[in-house]
Amino acid sequence: MDLFDEHVLRETRRQFIGRTATGIGTAALASLLNPRLFAETTLPKADGLTGVLPGFHHAPKAKRVIYLFMSGAPSQLDMWDYKPNLQEMFDKDLPDSIRMGQRITTMTSGQSRLPVAPTMFNFQQHGETGTWVSELLPHTAGVVDDLAVIKTVNTEAINHDPAITYIQTGSQLPGRPSLGAWLSYGLGSMNQDLPEFVVLNSTWSAKRDAQALYNRLWGAGFLPSKHQGVALRSTGDPVLYLSNPQGVNSQTRRRMLDSLAALNEKKFEEVGDPEINARISQYEMAFRMQSSVPDLVDIKEEPQHILDLYGPDVHKPGTFAYNCLLARRLAERNVRFTQVFIRGWDQHGSLPRDIRLQCGDIDQACAALVSDLKQRGMLEDTLVVWGGEFGRTVYSQGTLSKDNYGRDHHPRCYTMWMAGAGVKSGITYGETDDFSYNVVKDPVHIHDLNATMLHLLGIDHERLTYRFQGREFRLTDVHGNIVEGLLS
Amino acid sequence: MSPSTRMFSLISLPLTLALLGSSGSLRAEEEVRFNRDIRPILSDTCFTCHGPSDKDREAGLRFDIEESAKSELDSGVRAIVPGNLDESELYQRITSTDEYMVMPPADSHKQLKPEQIELLKKWIEQGAKWEDHWSFITPQLPELPVNKTDSWTRNEIDHFILHRLEKEGLTPAGEADKETLIRRVTFDLTGLPPTPQEVDAFLADESPNAYEMLVDRLLNSPHYGEHMARYWLDAARYGDTHGLHLDNKRSMWPYRDWVIKSFNDNMPFDQFTIEQIGGDQLPNPTLSQKVATGFQRCNVTTSEGGSIDEEYIVRYAVDRVETMGTVFLGLTLGCAVCHEHKYDPVTQEEFYQLFAFYNSLTEKAMDGNALLPPPTIKVPSAQDEQQLADLTALIEKLKKDKESLYQDVAYTDPTPDAVAELPQSEEIVIVDDEPLADAVLLGNTGQTWNFVGAPDHPVFSGEKSLHRAGDGMVQQYYEQDKSPITLRAGDRFFVYVYLDPENPPEEVMLQVHTQENQWHHRAYWGANKVDFGKDGTTQRLKLGELPAKGEWVRLEVAAAKIGLKAGAVVDGLAMTQFGGSAYWDKLGILTYGDFQQEGYASQHVWEQIERTLDLSSSLPEDILAAIKVNPADRSPELATKVSHYYLENINPTTRVQFQSVKEQIAAKTKELTDYENNIPATLIMEDMAEPRQTHVLIRGEYDKHGEKVERAVPAALPPLPEGAPVNRLGLAKWLVDRSNPLTARVTVNRYWQKYFGTGLVKTTEDFGSQGEWPSHPELLDWLAVHFMESGWDVKAFQKLIVMSATYRQSSHVTSELHKRDPNNRLLARGPRFRLDAEMIRDNALKIGGLLNEEIGGPSVKPYQPDGLWKVVAYTSSNTANFTKDEGPALYRRSMYTFWKRTSPPPSMTTFDAPSRETCTVKRERTNTPLQALNLLNDTQFVEAARKFAERIMREGGSSTADRVAFGYRWATSRFADEREISILSELYDMNLEEFKNDPSSAEQLLTVGDSPRDEELDPAELAAWTMVANTLLNLDETIVKE
Repeated sequence: MDLFDEHVLRETRRQFIGRTATGIGTAALASLLNPRLFAETTLPKADGLTGVLPGFHHAPKAKRVIYLFMSGAPSQLDMWDYKPNLQEMFDKDLPDSIRMGQRITTMTSGQSRLPVAPTMFNFQQHGETGTWVSELLPHTAGVVDDLAVIKTVNTEAINHDPAITYIQTGSQLPGRPSLGAWLSYGLGSMNQDLPEFVVLNSTWSAKRDAQALYNRLWGAGFLPSKHQGVALRSTGDPVLYLSNPQGVNSQTRRRMLDSLAALNEKKFEEVGDPEINARISQYEMAFRMQSSVPDLVDIKEEPQHILDLYGPDVHKPGTFAYNCLLARRLAERNVRFTQVFIRGWDQHGSLPRDIRLQCGDIDQACAALVSDLKQRGMLEDTLVVWGGEFGRTVYSQGTLSKDNYGRDHHPRCYTMWMAGAGVKSGITYGETDDFSYNVVKDPVHIHDLNATMLHLLGIDHERLTYRFQGREFRLTDVHGNIVEGLLS
Repeated sequence: MSPSTRMFSLISLPLTLALLGSSGSLRAEEEVRFNRDIRPILSDTCFTCHGPSDKDREAGLRFDIEESAKSELDSGVRAIVPGNLDESELYQRITSTDEYMVMPPADSHKQLKPEQIELLKKWIEQGAKWEDHWSFITPQLPELPVNKTDSWTRNEIDHFILHRLEKEGLTPAGEADKETLIRRVTFDLTGLPPTPQEVDAFLADESPNAYEMLVDRLLNSPHYGEHMARYWLDAARYGDTHGLHLDNKRSMWPYRDWVIKSFNDNMPFDQFTIEQIGGDQLPNPTLSQKVATGFQRCNVTTSEGGSIDEEYIVRYAVDRVETMGTVFLGLTLGCAVCHEHKYDPVTQEEFYQLFAFYNSLTEKAMDGNALLPPPTIKVPSAQDEQQLADLTALIEKLKKDKESLYQDVAYTDPTPDAVAELPQSEEIVIVDDEPLADAVLLGNTGQTWNFVGAPDHPVFSGEKSLHRAGDGMVQQYYEQDKSPITLRAGDRFFVYVYLDPENPPEEVMLQVHTQENQWHHRAYWGANKVDFGKDGTTQRLKLGELPAKGEWVRLEVAAAKIGLKAGAVVDGLAMTQFGGSAYWDKLGILTYGDFQQEGYASQHVWEQIERTLDLSSSLPEDILAAIKVNPADRSPELATKVSHYYLENINPTTRVQFQSVKEQIAAKTKELTDYENNIPATLIMEDMAEPRQTHVLIRGEYDKHGEKVERAVPAALPPLPEGAPVNRLGLAKWLVDRSNPLTARVTVNRYWQKYFGTGLVKTTEDFGSQGEWPSHPELLDWLAVHFMESGWDVKAFQKLIVMSATYRQSSHVTSELHKRDPNNRLLARGPRFRLDAEMIRDNALKIGGLLNEEIGGPSVKPYQPDGLWKVVAYTSSNTANFTKDEGPALYRRSMYTFWKRTSPPPSMTTFDAPSRETCTVKRERTNTPLQALNLLNDTQFVEAARKFAERIMREGGSSTADRVAFGYRWATSRFADEREISILSELYDMNLEEFKNDPSSAEQLLTVGDSPRDEELDPAELAAWTMVANTLLNLDETIVKE
């Protein structure tokens, strides 16, 4: 807040302190103060940026991102990566020529054999592009022409905690900033009354124990804590401590804030610390959030056909469908980065049962989000990303039968999709071998994926850095190549 | 660079140049200094390719070593020729306009600023004088600078600060007023605000040493240790959960208590270091010294299924080395995990030499999601020790009483020649040729039960046997038997098995399912392959080697042996094998029916019965063995042993006499065990007897072993002290050896940061060549040497700082001075910055009269919005559900709040508390709307306001103005002026009117939080005062130290 425009602020302050509590509308105040919600300074830079970057490194294609994260690692073999020849391999051993001695987790490394488990789900071609999609995803199949399906995403981590930390922060160990925090730090905010990085956690239907999430997945790491994601909650206050205590209405709060501002202003005049002015403006922003956030989560005004588009779950706060609709509303309000998490994909056993339930949670909502954005013209500058932290093995973990099997963790290739701003639509990118075990063509490492996302946002991933412990850190560490083949 | 520093840089101030990491022009007469001005440029811009790392070096040139930088390169040129710009290739290249020649190259994304080029130019012109990196040179006590004025100075610190101010043409601020001073120093030394009574006493004390007396009082407060500990716990990455994956609870708090006590006892910092790094390796270490090593067990650990042990053993050791590097050395050692350090003289090999000190723990890679993953130690209090001793003594006495009873009991066998009526055994066959009628039959893989017959297959009994073959664990079993079997004493399970000699299984297992306890009873023969239950317990007990192949063998297990008591209802059995092919036949139970078990009046008869039962006997093994010895052959000891057992347990007359004392012994023994089990324990360090061999790990990958390395310290630093052991203890002694150039500097710098907001070296965590040049290098050295020479006296050091005139300055700032020195690095004014998260909450609790000032103990769970843990936690984690504590535990100081590391307390992290997943030595200090919402609306703060309002009404006089003034004084330690009183009086009046008109709102507000409200106070008035108190608790001045 070094360059806080003290003069404007003080003039504003005098005007409103001079009046009674109800004398000045908050909207008017907002326009007078014009601060960015969590921004470093109040002076926008080139391109309207309020983060650390002086301007975009190149013209961005995406203004905002909605990242649908499937925690636990969904099976590419049962949803996207069609391998018809596997049906003949049922219960046969995975050939050594495929595994090539690669390490596997200690959950199956003790198994005496690794029997191939072909998917029990039918695949069909969809859309003009003829993309193969499993029967588990009938709605998503309807929008494949808008997607870039990437079959060759890969990582090194083979366990959930390190893997999800890796894809979210670029490091398998805790301590680094998450993707959204980097964006907040680099680009700042595009709106005045909502956070720039919002996280939505969803309920899920699979019956098995679900893998954990960690606050670090949307944490700021070594960046200042204001860059961390704000998790909007589906029960209680959407934003922590948003509501006034019971018995205190908005008018009482306004009056209290006016007195508080008057006292703080007086203090500033005495001691001259500009941080006091910054604090006054943060209280005003807090007050604005008390109306902007409830407005955001109130979906009553959405027309019926939109609610229908997202499916019946949309009426239940906290479901993936509800969160997808919220993500669209956040995008409309120019929140730069929204990440929707849904857990329950860690299907080591009873995979057919649980993957049906999980796809039931997400399929219609994913498709609805893409179509909804598209019909509003927002898909042009909104990037939608779908995927998990790694894939699952072609061989069965535990008991194998035609209609029941489990799959262990598989980091060497898995499927994600992207859609919207700057992404080629209706393509399938990369090839895996007949067992969906190794990449045959066009690998996309998770660092490449992150580099590409930053690229679409107008950022050179090598030049968004932060000096910590004597070193310039970045999201992609010392790796990452932009995947040109995905760009439109 | 932020716009403000750009503006500042336009002011030409040579000496602030490096300090602010900014640009500026240089006056010709000013000497350019290598360490201050040049090394940071070379390090940041050039070291990546021309630095310590052999692998990345270009052109054979390195700028971290003078010789290389100034000698002739392969290309025939010299990078630096002192005094000669034309021949200095460095200067030619950085000023080149040729895109192929210019340095740094475009693809490095680095660029030199014109001012930096100017500095390099001046430096070469002035003779390119080299200096070793400052922080690697052992500090010497510098002379105190001589200043133009000395009336302001109070101690040595001030001489250095004033010297710099005079150079800058600035003057120090006047002393802060007494109210500000007591508030500042009370927060700084205890983390808590002064009470108005304490302020009054200080104001009234006009003696010249009033301030010093105050400081001494605060240093002796037990809250001093708490406050100092809190900073240390950030560095130690203290948490109450494991931090990874399940993130279950972990018991570390006794270590936290140790830290608090160490500060309160003023343990010298060298001892503090030695005990935490090598306490377990001291000669005859005390309990306390072992607890201290918990510092190195605070790192995050996992037990995620599928993890590879070696990978995590490596990660833990790396974390420990990095933490030691950051906390004590101020070095980013972690940079050398994968490759040579790019900036500092630490090779990858040297990293692994340090790693070797930490690579031999007895700790397991997987923490087992346990509260106390070993090695751990119980930490009984003095009271616990007494209680244990008392109980043990009592039990001993009772045992003696029992012994004497044997003498008192008279017994002669009434029928020494009787022949007992022996119990008859009978076999109940459960499965032979037919599946069970009333049970659910199950089996893997693919088939349920596979009955086969002769002559193609071996059969033991009847017409058929069961055949099973497969890979891994395969089995046939049944459950939910509608005609379950109720076990009787002495029952044994049996089954016959025939292992295919061509393809035998590696293991066979019999599993029992009961209605009470499901599948938790197993016996196995052969290899330990089937991974059910806990090995070595009744859940998975090995009874023998794999049965002979190619013949029928009877497997038998006494029900009692696998934890099944008489009365258990068996409704499922499983015949399980690991791999291979096997036949199973005639599964059943051998039973003796309902025979008489005790109450035999004749010892002779009883012995015959037990001998018959033999394997089914429930007697202790030694007694059964003794009975099997012919009475005539028994030694007197053996005879007494059997006789005592009989009298005590079996004989219907005599055993009654033992009943009372036995019950007492059992009760007290249970009490003792329970007590012992409830004694808190904590994680500690312990090395294996034989150290693990350490290798360099290529690219830092756990499974890519390079050269073998042994324990050693980096060559750029002094060697291990003479005679020091080559283990963690030796390493600890090396850290605090007088010759170590870093530990004292890094430590005093962290203390400085605590008081002034920024360290003398701003990069608290990095004293290497990428770290920032100190704002006052001589002062830093003076403090470091002084600290060591004082015997590492921590309290004396805190006192030194707070007694200085520098510290006591007013923090008021003019707009001009703020522009000149926005971050107060020059210290022409006192510190003013927001309190840390914990202090903000503790302050509110104290003002509200809620604070529970108890010291130490386990963590507590104060208010937290519902569902925060649940939404992220692994479903079956034991921290998936947050349950708030009740009563006084809600109001403990915030340093005792339970720290779940994957979802830390929100009211802490919102105010920049770290997650405690990694070592943190410097907190950011942000200012956000979420903080405003937290202070306005969090139950904890609203409740504190409510209780504060009660205090205002009860103790603050009768008029509104008096009460406002009273409240202001509690919140800010000072007297409010008229304007402030009128603003809040007006607020009160308006709120009062509203709450009078709307009594239900007042009632609602007054029920926020658990503590009851004072029913004697008028609800509308109390609600109106609550809003005034809420305002006071949100004042900038209330949450800021100034």
